[in-house]
Amino acid sequence: MNYKKQLIVLVALVISSVIALAAQKPTILLNVSYDPTRELYVDYNAAFAKYWKGKTGQKVTIQQSHGGSGKQSRSVIDGLPADVVTLALAYDIDAIAERSKQLPVDWQKRLPNNASPYTSTIVFVVRKGNPKGIKDWDDLIKEGVKVTTPNPKTSGGARWNYLAAWAFEANRSGGDQKKAQEFVTKVFKNVPVLDTGARGSTTTFVQRGIGDVLIAWENEAYLAVKEYGADKFEIVNPSLSILAEPPVAVVDRVAKRKGNEAVAKAYLEYLYSDEGQEIAAKNFYRPRNQAIAQKYAKGFPTLKLVTIDEAFGGWAKAHKTHFADAGIFDQISRLNR
Amino acid sequence: MKLNRWMVIAALLSAQTGYVLAEDQNDELSRLKQQLQELDQKVRILERNKELETKAAEAKSKTQPTVVLGGGGLQVTSGDTNFTLKLRGYIQADSRFFASEDIKGNDTFLLRRVRPIIEGTVWKDFEYRIMTDFATGITSGTGNNAFLQDGYVNFHHWDEMQLQVGKFKEPVGLERLQSGRNMLFIERGLPTALVPNRDVGVQLHGKLWGNTLAYQVGAFNGVEDGGSGDLEVGDDGKNIAARIFAQPFSLTDIHPLKNFGVGVAVTHGTHVGALRNYATSGQQTWFSWRTSTAPTAASPNVTADGDTDRIAPQAYYYWGPFGVFGEYVVSSHDVARRTGAAAGAVTHANFENHAWQVAGSYFLTGEENSYAPVTPKRPFGWGSGNGWGAWEIAARVGHLDVDKKAFPTFATASSAQEVREWALGLNWHMNKNVKASVNYMNTDFKGGSKARTAVTSETGQAILGRVQLAF
Repeated sequence: MNYKKQLIVLVALVISSVIALAAQKPTILLNVSYDPTRELYVDYNAAFAKYWKGKTGQKVTIQQSHGGSGKQSRSVIDGLPADVVTLALAYDIDAIAERSKQLPVDWQKRLPNNASPYTSTIVFVVRKGNPKGIKDWDDLIKEGVKVTTPNPKTSGGARWNYLAAWAFEANRSGGDQKKAQEFVTKVFKNVPVLDTGARGSTTTFVQRGIGDVLIAWENEAYLAVKEYGADKFEIVNPSLSILAEPPVAVVDRVAKRKGNEAVAKAYLEYLYSDEGQEIAAKNFYRPRNQAIAQKYAKGFPTLKLVTIDEAFGGWAKAHKTHFADAGIFDQISRLNR
Repeated sequence: MKLNRWMVIAALLSAQTGYVLAEDQNDELSRLKQQLQELDQKVRILERNKELETKAAEAKSKTQPTVVLGGGGLQVTSGDTNFTLKLRGYIQADSRFFASEDIKGNDTFLLRRVRPIIEGTVWKDFEYRIMTDFATGITSGTGNNAFLQDGYVNFHHWDEMQLQVGKFKEPVGLERLQSGRNMLFIERGLPTALVPNRDVGVQLHGKLWGNTLAYQVGAFNGVEDGGSGDLEVGDDGKNIAARIFAQPFSLTDIHPLKNFGVGVAVTHGTHVGALRNYATSGQQTWFSWRTSTAPTAASPNVTADGDTDRIAPQAYYYWGPFGVFGEYVVSSHDVARRTGAAAGAVTHANFENHAWQVAGSYFLTGEENSYAPVTPKRPFGWGSGNGWGAWEIAARVGHLDVDKKAFPTFATASSAQEVREWALGLNWHMNKNVKASVNYMNTDFKGGSKARTAVTSETGQAILGRVQLAF
């Protein structure tokens, strides 16, 4: 009985079917991001998929994962297979680089503007008519004012909030760090609910009706007003705030393992394109591209902004001083208990 | 006039008091309103904090391992679901009785299978299975024959393409590929004697197009018909086994055809070494190859020695409580007959053996029949909601035909040339885990020894019984 020919044909048929099937599988990219970027990346992903299909003919599907930036960073370190991370602060990506070695420690040099394709800042959202008369940071420590902000231990946005408050008092008191700590302690004494992420905090303020003022990302503030109506909320710009630079990076090892290196790199580079910058601006992020920033300037009032490097000596130092275990925020939490 | 003055004073006083009272009431209302707002905030804060605590507890529970103990055994899953460990197993306690007192088969109770199973996943994509057997096996032994049945790792990232390495069933016989705990009859039918059992090798397999087409292609050491092996001892040649099985209507709305499956399996390779004899369902040997450790012309030694090929078309059909399956196997072997130690004292031949069977069953209690395990609609028990379990009647016919060229010089004189079997069965699935079965097996032989005590001397009639517990 000679089955050899039939067997070879059968094996070839099966293998070619499998290869054909595998070739048809669309590329799937996982973007692990922080809380308030949901809407931005829904728009951006659609634009990028169209761009990539036109450029390469390859169909790409981008999956999104959102949560508190610190929490997301830990998930990636623990094995969440992110091709790219687009987090709230550089420290969270540094942690991935240092602890999981999945990308080089100099990852910020690989893209322009320290790998931050857009910026944002911290503002206040108050209820319509501003019943508590909140105009600046020092109004947040008044008795009877309830402040809504997430937990700096888990949320990148909350860290920016905390540091902006600190920078305000430090600036006002001529750099007195003790006064700044007392000031921030008083702010957090007025916080009745600590959500784990910025989006949860918005839910607490907007949907659950808790608090008199929400400290929020600028984009999140505009989104809340847009979604829930200018007849319910107002945005208040404080006299001083902080320049937030949310960074992005390819998680090299994961992208390589999944065969997504090229598409992951292009995905982040396209954020700097005119279309990427327009989408960022439309979603209330301040674009880096000056021409596009000018076009949307009306939506972004000029504020006095300090940078993390100027005011705190960079993220590593800020983290160690304020947010590490037994750091100043832990001391504040104990005092306010 | 005096009276009027007093009346005016009284009226003025009254108005003043009313104004003061109204002012007090307004203040009170404001205070109450403020208190109400404060209370409302407190309630909202309490509710939100509770909501966040619940979410945090849920998130924490996702990182904690879960332990489930139930009908499917014990399963432990890590919080991130990347790791699982399942402890399962099954025991088959059998009885085997023969109608004739003359033939060699002893009436006996036996443990047919005692198989603990450890299986699970590591790092989500790597599946493993370890299954040993502590039963005395097919033949009676002087002690427990504890040995490894399955031991393999399966890389399973895509359903469409998986890679399995280790010891497992070669993808050939339809009934052989069905788990020993799900068999319709207590012993598998005649075609299973012509297909390989477990072998060590590597296999690419998967399910395509929504499981409508399953395929397996593997390279194995190669084993004789019905045999299992742990390593290659007789030759360097390897066996290729491939199988495709389609369920073309499984995704359609044609309900009567949804569970129709058809496929074919082939093997090709070389094998050198001992050949396996054939036995009835009552495990009585009716065909033996001539063997000898010191071969002579009168007492030759027959072994596999060259190409081995098999082809096995197969199909099943299940609709409601009715189910039927059938398979046909052609097995071709190059064999050598040695009559001495000299190089020329060997004769080569090729034999082609054929077997087929058709088996069907019907659930009297209306369960959905299936190739996979069946769950009774109403498990056996005395409490409310319980019933009589699932009752299934079964029948099968089968035939195995040994190549006529094997007689008389390659096969023993007492061996039969053909065997025809029919069987009836009754299965009582008390619940998902416990099953009791009784089978009547009738076996007719063509050829073979007619000596009074020979297995082939008369129609074999065996009554097999089994109680099976599987979890």
